[in-house]
Amino acid sequence: MPIDVEAYYRDLGPMVLRRCRRLLRDEEKAVDAMHDTFVNLLRADRRLIDRAPASLLLRVATRVCLNRLRTERRHPEDRDDEALLAIAAEPEPLGPSVARLVLARLLGGERESTRLMAVLHFVDGLTLDEVGREVGLTAEAVRKRLRKLRARVAERREDDLLPEVRP
Amino acid sequence: MTSRTPDWLLERLHAGDLPEGEAARVRARLRAEGGLSRLDALGADDAAFRLAHPAGRVLTEIRGRAGRPGPRATAGVFWRLGPAVAATVLLLLGVVLVPRTGLLGGGAEGTGTKGGPQLVVYRQRAGQDAEVVVAGTPVRAGDLLQLAYHSAGARYGVVVSVDGRGGLTLHLPEGGGSAAALSGGGVVRLPHSYELDDAPSFERFFLVTGNEPFAAAVVLDAARRLWASGAAETGPLLLPAGLGQEAVLLRKR
Repeated sequence: MPIDVEAYYRDLGPMVLRRCRRLLRDEEKAVDAMHDTFVNLLRADRRLIDRAPASLLLRVATRVCLNRLRTERRHPEDRDDEALLAIAAEPEPLGPSVARLVLARLLGGERESTRLMAVLHFVDGLTLDEVGREVGLTAEAVRKRLRKLRARVAERREDDLLPEVRP
Repeated sequence: MTSRTPDWLLERLHAGDLPEGEAARVRARLRAEGGLSRLDALGADDAAFRLAHPAGRVLTEIRGRAGRPGPRATAGVFWRLGPAVAATVLLLLGVVLVPRTGLLGGGAEGTGTKGGPQLVVYRQRAGQDAEVVVAGTPVRAGDLLQLAYHSAGARYGVVVSVDGRGGLTLHLPEGGGSAAALSGGGVVRLPHSYELDDAPSFERFFLVTGNEPFAAAVVLDAARRLWASGAAETGPLLLPAGLGQEAVLLRKR
């Protein structure tokens, strides 16, 4: 069975828009990012099945928003926003387009982005266990990745914007 | 870092996307913190989204960006929920569905052929019968409109609108691609209603018809050129031979 992008939009479009609103804090940009999320899904492939479509779309939306935030120059509105912008500024080691990342994820071959884990933990408030369940890693593996990212952010900013990684 | 159930998990629970054990754990956590109403709020927001961002229009945009042609026209998402669910959603939003009144005419600017295809615009009003909106009638952001056509024997049709910001909306066919095959036999409603946004000044609707198949993109391009010419409120679409048009101009207040 193919991925039915229309059905995904119908069922999960509202969720994607809420996600984009939360991260971008701008209605117009959020709607645009929602469109791009589905564009990436369309470009990735329609022949594949994903067992957790909401999770997939939340991740794609998060990546789309992080990429936008990275190229944006704006003042953070609060501490959460500041953390998000700092995470977005981190280099994305995987390089390829979001659409290719979607395809890789659908095929089960993607190494999850540390930036995504950082958003889940530092911005969304998921515990390490919860992040681990989301990305298929142990909590300890997530902790190590986040500690390294936190250190890089602190080095770049010369402060401790991101709180300690906690269980 | 917040201690309440993260939105991420709430969304996955709402979407039925969590494994059984995880769903039970998140639901229990929500219940413990008195947050089950957050799920209800998501349901209400979903309904509002479906009115504000109808699938046909948005998927056309998405497919355009992705560089893919659209599929055949499909029924509107909102109305595919089924009459009972759709009516419930409308009631939640303070809108009352009324039966079709059979009203026709009076709405067009007269750019079409007399006795030819007609475009009819109804306004749905809470607690009252739907009214036919005639050309020039003042409307406002948030008004819920129902578009309908009378084919008068024309076989194919496209309905688009252009607003005061130059925004184009393809109402029929919903999925883009070729013009929709029109139904005969009286006034035919489009599959979903349309909520006016806050674009200023006006919204002008066009029904373009022909007896041979043609691409919706032809009409969208013509509307885009009309807007660029500065004559979107009054001018005709410049269309290939064999296509007729009917327009209804609504003034925003």
